[in-house]
Amino acid sequence: MFEQQFMNALAIGSVYALTAMGATLIYGIMGILDIANAGAYLVGAYLGWYIYHATGNIALAFIGSAIAVGALGVLLQKTIYSPILAKQNTLSIIPLVAAVGLFTMSSDVIRLICGPYSKSYNFKTSADSIQIGPIVLIPAWILIFALTALCLLVLWFLLNRTKLGLAWRSTANDSEIAKVCGVDTNKSMALSYILGYGFAAIAGIMVGILYNSITPALGEVPSYKMLAIIVLGGLGNPVGTVIAGLLIGFVEVFVSAYTNLPIPKDAIAFVVLIIMLLIKPEGLMGQKNKM
Amino acid sequence: MEELMKIEGLKMYFGGLKAIDGFDLTVNKGETLGIIGPNGAGKTTLFNAICGVYKPTGGKVTLEGKDITGTPAYKMAKMGFARTFQISKPLRGLTIFDNVLAAAGVHEYTGIGSYFHKSHTDDIEDKVEEIILETGLAEVANKKASDVSLGYLRRLEIARALVTDPKLILLDEPCAGLSNFAINEITELILHLKEQKRSIVLIEHNLPLTMKVCDRITVLSYGKKICEGTPEYVKNDKQVIEAYLGEEDND
Amino acid sequence: MANAYLFSIMATVAIFTLLALSLNIITGYAGQAMMGIAAFFGIGAYTAAILTTNGTPFLLALLAAMVVTGVFGALLGVISLRLQEDFLAITTIGINFVMAAVFNTLKITGGTLGLTTKKPEIFGVRMNNFHFFILTVIIVVIVCLLINKMRKSWFGMALASIENDPAAARSFGINVSKYQILAFIIGTALSGLAGGIYSHRMGFISATDFAFTVSIQVVSMCVIGGLGTIRGPIFGAILITSLPEILRFADNYRALVYSLLLVIMVRFMPGGLLGDDSPIWKLIVKGYRKFVPRKKTRADLIAEEAVSAGAAPGTQSVKQEGGLA
Repeated sequence: MFEQQFMNALAIGSVYALTAMGATLIYGIMGILDIANAGAYLVGAYLGWYIYHATGNIALAFIGSAIAVGALGVLLQKTIYSPILAKQNTLSIIPLVAAVGLFTMSSDVIRLICGPYSKSYNFKTSADSIQIGPIVLIPAWILIFALTALCLLVLWFLLNRTKLGLAWRSTANDSEIAKVCGVDTNKSMALSYILGYGFAAIAGIMVGILYNSITPALGEVPSYKMLAIIVLGGLGNPVGTVIAGLLIGFVEVFVSAYTNLPIPKDAIAFVVLIIMLLIKPEGLMGQKNKM
Repeated sequence: MEELMKIEGLKMYFGGLKAIDGFDLTVNKGETLGIIGPNGAGKTTLFNAICGVYKPTGGKVTLEGKDITGTPAYKMAKMGFARTFQISKPLRGLTIFDNVLAAAGVHEYTGIGSYFHKSHTDDIEDKVEEIILETGLAEVANKKASDVSLGYLRRLEIARALVTDPKLILLDEPCAGLSNFAINEITELILHLKEQKRSIVLIEHNLPLTMKVCDRITVLSYGKKICEGTPEYVKNDKQVIEAYLGEEDND
Repeated sequence: MANAYLFSIMATVAIFTLLALSLNIITGYAGQAMMGIAAFFGIGAYTAAILTTNGTPFLLALLAAMVVTGVFGALLGVISLRLQEDFLAITTIGINFVMAAVFNTLKITGGTLGLTTKKPEIFGVRMNNFHFFILTVIIVVIVCLLINKMRKSWFGMALASIENDPAAARSFGINVSKYQILAFIIGTALSGLAGGIYSHRMGFISATDFAFTVSIQVVSMCVIGGLGTIRGPIFGAILITSLPEILRFADNYRALVYSLLLVIMVRFMPGGLLGDDSPIWKLIVKGYRKFVPRKKTRADLIAEEAVSAGAAPGTQSVKQEGGLA
């Protein structure tokens, strides 16, 4: 039983980490709390569904959806977010309000185009479950673990081993100085959105497979839970985000499995967040003087 | 000479970094004292530790004999410490006039009680007008702070300090980033304040300016005082020359 | 019963106007990112509802709702001192979700079943929508007058300074923490008052009335109208509350139109339709000035005199332009 819960928590935590990673990358460069990332997650899940059901190829669904949604992200960055940030004297909640508007729009567009009812992925594998010792593994879990690991590896490689990644990190550190040093900060922003929205799309498909159901309301819970996770991880810190995502996954699964708390599962992330902020206001992995 | 502010053994550590390490200073009434030092010597940190932005790690600051170490910034302002910022901090959405007026209310910000007192009274406006004329801000008085140039913003900083009727004015690099023309104007303004026998502490990077306006100069290097005296004395001090030339070598 | 329908909408508009004005004090004047005003709206609503159910007179219950909500607001104010801007935005979102969950769970708030309130009596008359509308409008007018007085006081000057630059505010004697907490107390207390009226006008409340989406709606009202002004939140509240009624014919596209409007607004006019920098507002002011010339402020007089005395404005500044800001 414990082992089962553990694997379940790991799967959910992985999805959280991947969803929140997009928001973290965007915050790292733009300083925007991009709730609309949850819209990318929703759109990605639907796009993946259409591709999978048209071709029967799940790999194509993942890749096609991630690329398309990533491109959409860059489009939004160029037409909405960057122009808003370019204006002087805007309150910090203005970009957040824009993100909320975009997110609401995404849910509604999906509802109008794809219908309000749930769709099933019906992802088929050769075996229903795999038994390893006391643990029963669901193939979807293995897919999630493998894909999350792959995404994080790609991210790590991009950020730490490529020129583009160096530009990204210097922009995240201080965009003004990076600009002076000849770094194309626009490229870094675009990279954030391609990766951020692409990852969200992949996470959306993973959730669609895991629960075998997608609805236009799919993005609602991640939209705010994602915010709690990126703050826990120390706003803009990719490693912290992975840890915080897993942490929330575990707390949720184990708290609802072993205790009788009177609050719903989806509020737990924020209870953890509020408690943590009271103890350590700069975030789990945040640096005190960095902001 | 009458002693106004005294700093004894001031320490300001950030983790392992000793930004200020045992600093002593006496400021007398009516004098203009300069604090110079190479980049990163800890000049602005010193200001922040004196003015209550940081709580000093150790040491003592007294004003007219009263211990005021670690008093929060807003209380320091009420006690008569007026500081300017190296990176101008105007209230961008307000006019220059209202910027000065906001500072003129230094003793009015009492909490709930301040709701019952009008801000734009004739008395206050008269006082603000006087300071605005004195600091040469008249032609931009009705412009928003976000719409005026850096030279004006620096003078605004000084105007906001003056309008609080300070016992001591702390100027943090008022000329940083300005053109020669604007530097001359600020120099004139500081000399004008000096004529009024105001007590001033000036942090500067610009040596000729400091030499010109200061009665005494203290040299800070790596958080420690390495020399103090008249401009003439400091200019010829071996350690000072080393500190500055040594730095230029690294450049 | 066309009138009854109209009054029901008007009462809702008035209540949300009050709520938008309350948020405007925290976010517009004091500059604090508050994304969870609905939580405090809810605290006021439940407090008043529970009190009147137990026999407390309506007006007294409203007063108590203000006090209780204000205490919670003070708590948030203290927390806000420890948090940076973005953290505060997320924390308030979190508080909204947690409070909605709490309303949905606690026995005293009726759990998932919600709470039913009795229509209160004022001066022996059982209140209907018309009465609620009148009561709320009276309160809104009083609040507007009080805010107007605030803006001309040192209190208003303190908030404006903090909103612009907290470090500068400290340098001329403003206890930023104190004023920040006061702004939270005043703003949340007003939202609690709006909540108390809301729960009695609706006759029934449940946790969904105080969900995060409600907070977003109120933020939208302020942003679309123009934060930091009195007219902005009022205009925004009227627009956003009556929009669904106007769009009734296009029911299916309501959320889409609404969110599209929001995105277009913040993209092209982040200061709001009636904000100080809005072209629309400038046009209105220009038209008005044709009939009523602006009274010159002291600042105008000083500047005019200086300019006529010789130095044309900006001549010096051109030469002075130098280096980094």
